[in-house]
Amino acid sequence: MMARNRTEENDVLASRRIDHAVVLGANGAMGYGSGALFTSAVPRVTFLARAKDKADQGLKVAVNAVRSSTVAHKVDTGDYGKDFDRAVANADLIFEALTEDFEVKRAMFERVDALRKPGSIVATVTSGLSIDALGRGRSESFRKHFLGLHFFNPPNVIVGTELVAGKDTDPGVVEFVDLYARKKLGRVMVRTADTPGFAGNRVGFKVLNEVAQLAEEHGPVLVDRLVGPYTGRALAPLATVDLVGWDIHRAIVDNIYKNAKDEAHATLAMPGYMIGLLEKGVLGTKSGGGFFKTENKVRLVLDPKTQGYRPVAEVKLPDLRFIDDVARLHRDGLYKEAMRAFVAAPGPWADIARKVVAGYVSYAFHRAGEVTKGIAGIDDIMGFGFNWAPPSVLVDTIGVRETIAMIEAAGLPVPANLAAAAKTGASRRLYTNPHGNIGRFFVAG
Amino acid sequence: MSATLRTPEVFILGGYQTDFSRNWTKERKHFAALMREGVLGALESTDVEPKDVQVAHVGNFAAELYCKQGHLGAFFVEVDPAFSGLPTARHEAACASGSVAILAAMAEIQAGWYDVACVVGIEQMKTVAAAEGGDYLGTAAWYEQEAKGIEFPFPKLFGKLGDEYDKRYGLKDEHLAGISAINYANAKLNPLAQTRTWYMNKAHACSRDDFNAAVGGRVKISDCSQVTDGSVAVLLAGRAYAEKYAARRGVKLESLPRITGWGHHTARLKFADKVAESKDAAYVLPHVRSTITDAWRRANLGGVTDVDGIETHDCFTTSEYMAIDHFGITSPGESWKAVEDGSLEIRGAHPINPSGGLIGAGHPVGATGVRQLLDSYKQVTGTAGDYQVEGAKTFQTLNIGGSGTTSVSFVVETP
Repeated sequence: MMARNRTEENDVLASRRIDHAVVLGANGAMGYGSGALFTSAVPRVTFLARAKDKADQGLKVAVNAVRSSTVAHKVDTGDYGKDFDRAVANADLIFEALTEDFEVKRAMFERVDALRKPGSIVATVTSGLSIDALGRGRSESFRKHFLGLHFFNPPNVIVGTELVAGKDTDPGVVEFVDLYARKKLGRVMVRTADTPGFAGNRVGFKVLNEVAQLAEEHGPVLVDRLVGPYTGRALAPLATVDLVGWDIHRAIVDNIYKNAKDEAHATLAMPGYMIGLLEKGVLGTKSGGGFFKTENKVRLVLDPKTQGYRPVAEVKLPDLRFIDDVARLHRDGLYKEAMRAFVAAPGPWADIARKVVAGYVSYAFHRAGEVTKGIAGIDDIMGFGFNWAPPSVLVDTIGVRETIAMIEAAGLPVPANLAAAAKTGASRRLYTNPHGNIGRFFVAG
Repeated sequence: MSATLRTPEVFILGGYQTDFSRNWTKERKHFAALMREGVLGALESTDVEPKDVQVAHVGNFAAELYCKQGHLGAFFVEVDPAFSGLPTARHEAACASGSVAILAAMAEIQAGWYDVACVVGIEQMKTVAAAEGGDYLGTAAWYEQEAKGIEFPFPKLFGKLGDEYDKRYGLKDEHLAGISAINYANAKLNPLAQTRTWYMNKAHACSRDDFNAAVGGRVKISDCSQVTDGSVAVLLAGRAYAEKYAARRGVKLESLPRITGWGHHTARLKFADKVAESKDAAYVLPHVRSTITDAWRRANLGGVTDVDGIETHDCFTTSEYMAIDHFGITSPGESWKAVEDGSLEIRGAHPINPSGGLIGAGHPVGATGVRQLLDSYKQVTGTAGDYQVEGAKTFQTLNIGGSGTTSVSFVVETP
């Protein structure tokens, strides 16, 4: 991104006004969450849904989510019938948050294209569908003003945001949205290429899916412990998949598996046991359970082999003392010592944990230049979108050479950019975010 | 005390603040980690070697209660092997703990005992539920007489400060809401502020419902500072080290900020006694006023027009309302005028809390005084980023412990 001084930034921000935003799909979590966020900067926001009462419901949840009744002062609601034309024709920003279905979105954009005023910005919150493909068949003016603005759920809490331009998107529009989101909406912005899953989901769901694959043999409790918060994440992987929803997980990994071919392709194939259960209605937390669920105050865990559940407390775990040792060092703020202990830990379980962590680092560094310009963008979206230790933070904490050795020991390919970093002096830090407290990513447990 | 007494200079080499939005209990971190990140951050950002540090002072209010941990000076030594044997101590003056730690470090540098001091302000508060934490904070008042058995005693005490203003001069709650809105808006510009992503606007600050309930008379949730985990460390130096340091970094000695003035007073502990003492005085809290004017006098400043900005103690909007007239931005009782005319905003005539203050940036109790000094350092070195007060050369802090009980103020300047 071009470095700009404050005066230049103010000029860009003053170049257009966002006085009215329309949220399409305001009854969904991304719709009302983003809508609430917009009210912090946009004077008037219209929540639209299939029916007005759905939009009203979205507004009610939004008010509770940000804990301020003042959200409602700036919002009006309506449906896709009688309220649609006037709202879309008047809007400066049209924000699409419909279900993650290519055809549904395309049909909506066709309607928007016919009504929007010239110069209005159209953004989609898609978590990985192609911006170019979604814009195909639309007018030139639409395509010039169309981009991906991928918030993470919940948008009022998680600040990491991906900005995805299509090949026809006007660079001036991209620059404005980037600055507006940073300065007015408090976002950490990452520009990504229009590639499947963009940057965050591409790298993040590779890891989540690999852990889901490992769960088939080792069980969810063990793998969530092995790749747990102590490896640099706020929430363990399979607990994350349950929260995200198995249907969303499938949409994301299937899209990447189908449309991207890379050196870790096999890790993006959704495990068969998950597909079977998903088809029986297992969607994770929103359907009452996934890998984990709670019944009669007892926490239960899925056995992927039998597809039944049993109490977590009955699961016998092997000797995992190395995890306690690493966590104890994190607890006292000794992050380098902790990650070195992780790298040195003996035994097959530590090997599995290292293979996933090494796979994350290897995959992320391989994607730098493909999904973002450099590793810094991937670092920011993993840190501020996923709440995971960014790959560069892991490398800095473990050591470049030690990380390469860990990747090699796991039988994974060493990224050329990481090998180059090892040659040019191991003392230089790779993580460049000046305000990132690296300690925040390592949870002592 | 002579106004002309010249004391040796104390230079600020820089420092470090942890991200105040972090919850160290959720990260399952011990107090030692919070200390470590603050101190190592300061050493790294100033490029000072651990072996160069000669003394350390820790400002903390109540680690014994929040973390069941005392003897905090010793935790400084844990940070680096080079610190083994270092003289250290912990200082406590409620919410002014950080500032009294700075005063101790300054005195030792000025006395010539040591040439490089590290001051750490630190508090880990999210270890307990809100009501229990509120009770702990009550020990900054006269606990048995003002806090025992009272839910959230401090909002109530500072609600009374608002009531006292109302009685003497009249006070509209919308002006308190205005103070809250400015602090939250500034916090959005500060990448280390606790509330930078929170939903807030003037309308919300004015609202009074379940989302913005009253917690102490006229004091609502939006009038309160935050419960925060954080540590802030600064490195202070005498002239000899500062000269070497400037030379090593290829900068002029004049470019290093210094603490040119300070004020420090302690009033009677109980709020009612303070108010009774000031009933015929021009200022509601005269010892706070003296703290501010002492700092000016020692820095050879004529008054508030000689400072480019202020980091003040807005533990509640009423305390900032009090600070506005005590700094002389308005006549006593007319603080509302400065809220209305935009003076307090970053581009205003008298910017207050460009960082977001205790309401917006957060209030890890023992760290706040050090955070205010570090933010003043950032302002006068032009390194405050999006919350920079343009061209600032002189900044002043005001840090208050208890219900206006212990007050400390520093003036920070680059020539």
